[in-house]
Amino acid sequence: MTTMNTRSLEQPTLEDNYLTYTRGIMSWVLTLDHKRIGVMYLVSVLGAFLLGGVFALLVRTQLLVPDGLIMDQDQYNQAFTLHGGIMVFLVIIPSIPAALGNFVMPIMLGAKDVAFPRLNLMSYYLWVIGALCMVYAMVGGLDTGWTFYTPYSIDESSAMSGVIPAVTGAFILGFSSIFTGMNFIVTIHRLRPDGMTWFRMPLFLWSIYATAVIQVLATPVLGITLALLAVERAFGIGIFDPALGGDPVLYQHFFWFYSHPAVYIMVLPAMGIVSELIAVHSHRHIFGYSFIAWSSVAIAIFSFIVWGHHMFTSGQSQLMNVIFSFITFSVAIPSAVKVFNWLATMYKGAISWNTPMLYGMGFIVLFLIGGLTGLYLGTLAVDIHLHDTYFVVAHFHYTMMGSALIGFIGGLHHWWPKITGKMYNENAGRFAFVLFFIGYNMTFFTQFMLGSHGMPRRYGTYPADAGFQTYHIISTIGAYIMAIAFFTMAGYFLASVFGGRRAASNPWGGRSLEWQCTSPPPHDNFSEQPAVGDCYDFSVLRWDDATNGYVWREDIEHPGMTHSEASGE
Amino acid sequence: MSMFGMLATMKLGEATSGGGFWMPENASTVAAEVDGLFYFINNVNYVSFALCVAILLFFAIRYYAKPSSHATFDPDAPTHNTPLELTWSVVPLLIVGVMFWLGMTGFLELMEAPSDSYEVRVTAQKWSWTFQHPEYGVTEAAELTVPLNKPVRLIMTSSDVLHSLFVPAFRVKNDVVPGRYSSLWFQATRPGQYRLYCTEYCGKDHSKMLAVVNVLPEDEFQERLGKLAREYEDIEDQDLPAYALSRLYNRCASCHSLDGKSGTGPSFKGLWDRTKKGSTVFTNGTSLKDLMGKGGEFEVPENYIRDSIVNPQRHIVQNYTGAMPTFQGQLKQRQIDALILMLKNLDQLVDDQGNVIEEPNLDNADISTGAQQ
Repeated sequence: MTTMNTRSLEQPTLEDNYLTYTRGIMSWVLTLDHKRIGVMYLVSVLGAFLLGGVFALLVRTQLLVPDGLIMDQDQYNQAFTLHGGIMVFLVIIPSIPAALGNFVMPIMLGAKDVAFPRLNLMSYYLWVIGALCMVYAMVGGLDTGWTFYTPYSIDESSAMSGVIPAVTGAFILGFSSIFTGMNFIVTIHRLRPDGMTWFRMPLFLWSIYATAVIQVLATPVLGITLALLAVERAFGIGIFDPALGGDPVLYQHFFWFYSHPAVYIMVLPAMGIVSELIAVHSHRHIFGYSFIAWSSVAIAIFSFIVWGHHMFTSGQSQLMNVIFSFITFSVAIPSAVKVFNWLATMYKGAISWNTPMLYGMGFIVLFLIGGLTGLYLGTLAVDIHLHDTYFVVAHFHYTMMGSALIGFIGGLHHWWPKITGKMYNENAGRFAFVLFFIGYNMTFFTQFMLGSHGMPRRYGTYPADAGFQTYHIISTIGAYIMAIAFFTMAGYFLASVFGGRRAASNPWGGRSLEWQCTSPPPHDNFSEQPAVGDCYDFSVLRWDDATNGYVWREDIEHPGMTHSEASGE
Repeated sequence: MSMFGMLATMKLGEATSGGGFWMPENASTVAAEVDGLFYFINNVNYVSFALCVAILLFFAIRYYAKPSSHATFDPDAPTHNTPLELTWSVVPLLIVGVMFWLGMTGFLELMEAPSDSYEVRVTAQKWSWTFQHPEYGVTEAAELTVPLNKPVRLIMTSSDVLHSLFVPAFRVKNDVVPGRYSSLWFQATRPGQYRLYCTEYCGKDHSKMLAVVNVLPEDEFQERLGKLAREYEDIEDQDLPAYALSRLYNRCASCHSLDGKSGTGPSFKGLWDRTKKGSTVFTNGTSLKDLMGKGGEFEVPENYIRDSIVNPQRHIVQNYTGAMPTFQGQLKQRQIDALILMLKNLDQLVDDQGNVIEEPNLDNADISTGAQQ
């Protein structure tokens, strides 16, 4: 019995895994292995994050002084546009589903790969082509903001000539996103192992599934909208241009019909990751599994009918404003439910204060701020004052960066041992988290006050006597601190690859299936389809000093053995 | 907190006190209600946030356990509790329901302009504001003069892209959309000067698209508008260039420099020289000279300046884009005269660096007082 038990959690092999399965550059370029595609996404997304981060630092540096420190107006407008465009389309949207999801999801399902491996590779190359279009847009210049609002964007004398390359890029990225979503939906429907019913899936899969549904349903609308925009700009067909009888506000409806759900494409997977982080690192069964699962579905549905809250001051009818305000408030409930469930999960747990758990707890704090400040913006009378000010900038950075991106970084720390087979330096990880958390709040909390005092968005200069400068200085210093934190992370991640301690199969004590294959996983993930138990029942695991990881407890029955083992072969 | 509060207080004009840590000074009838609602949400948020973070920290510390300590969780800990979960779903629902209701009623009030409102027509264009007072026949730029304690309704439209008019002290904002009218209203409760911003991104000089709302007591308001109404009629011809520089040029300034530097448009320095000589070259390769001969469109060179103001898209100067909006209907004939005279005499008005040599004395021309037209 003992030998059988240890077999499924055997020591990882550095000689025979997905990284060493085949060699040479072409084995990566043409790979169909979901893990390698996930790693390629990861590297690409982190590269885009560096680029978007450079633009963020340029923007923050500019705002140190009222007249702008380093750029002229045109350069500043390009910097914030590219920061937004790159971070939204190239970083946050693909970060969790395409990078971590690709790597983790099939293993969590005990499957060898996603349902359509070739489509998966095609998604990646579409992402690359879309990214190149975005970068090419910088040649002609792009100064519309990431929202491409009409009629500015369709007016040749206003917006710079990078608009068509940029929307072409976003269009192609949309297809990458749709294909990934379709692939994941089919994978979750068809490739779940025996015993994994819908309500025994890890919550990360629930959130990836809800995300995939939004990706497939909402992204085509963005594609059509951007195609119309490009045609309007090139040929002047008169859909959005008021001079030709078009309606510029119609564009906003189209755009936000995608882009509000897109907010949940960003944050839902992060919520899924946090559900994993909190449960695994508290070593405690997740509290209220079905409420969390259903809240993902509820958020996905609600996300389609709240887009009008981006347009409270656009001149849409008062009735529309009231209806959208009402629905917007209802989306607050499933989000609040998740937070309460995470807190209850920690109750009577055995909580490890390691880096992924710190990100899990940091997520809860930042998401609370992001969510609670949404209440001001959903409240119509208050939103009129705060709309299009830095208050909104702060709010969406708390949700998109403080929540979505932090979920991604937390997940990266959580699954890094699985992806690379190496442990990073835990103290360096904690240090970087603390640095990040301080820098983050310095950067963005000050922006709430900037906004409530009237500082508008997208300003490269501001009145010297309006009292804004102090906040801007604190905010910029915070951004520099965050940059240091990110470079620290890059440092210890790289160091771990070259000199890190080997990771056990299950360094954290997780119960979902990815912790039952070696670190890093072999090419086929599992030699036999593993059996599935309750993926949040941690009572069957114990810490093992010899391997610095968790192993099955020998003294109780558990389902963590393969079929052949269970049948007593 | 008090340090932040002081730093955040706007220092603009005399009536700018009253700003706090969260909200700026308030100077309109709706501001108090908006602020009240803001602080209500604030208090709900402080409590919820403190509660959740306290629980988080308490659990994180109370149940801390190193993996190597072999400590395990309490196996009796509950994995779900339906009454508890329903409670924490329903209670927040009730709280946000209250927020929604208060926000809606406040908003509807914010939207409903009293029927006796004083109306101002607002035109937004890249990157300036034009405020027209139909009752007085007055057009203002960069400053909007309004009466104290009287509802004012702005009827707004844009001549190019989206803009948005925002006065933080009044807590009002609405987008300004080309091809349609939008409106907002406010009733100022304190005299003084308040900043007005464009809050919808509109291109290069978006952050320079600022103006000031000047709130005056009723009698001073009428006096001021009366003066403005007669300003250009009553002015002496020799004073016109200086007036154009001080009162009209601010709408040109974001694109046309006085010191020879190219902006979004050509500099005004030497512009009249270039026009007289016809040396200006257009994007289609023709030069101004081709249009200036006997019987040509611009036989009288002043007509080129006039045409560039009212019909700026017809002839685009080489190396520039046709970014200029038309000022047709926004300038009186005498104001166009003044601008042309300003260009002709620019070297006497500003030095080589584009600095104004002598500030004209504005009040000399304020001949009439209080008289409505």
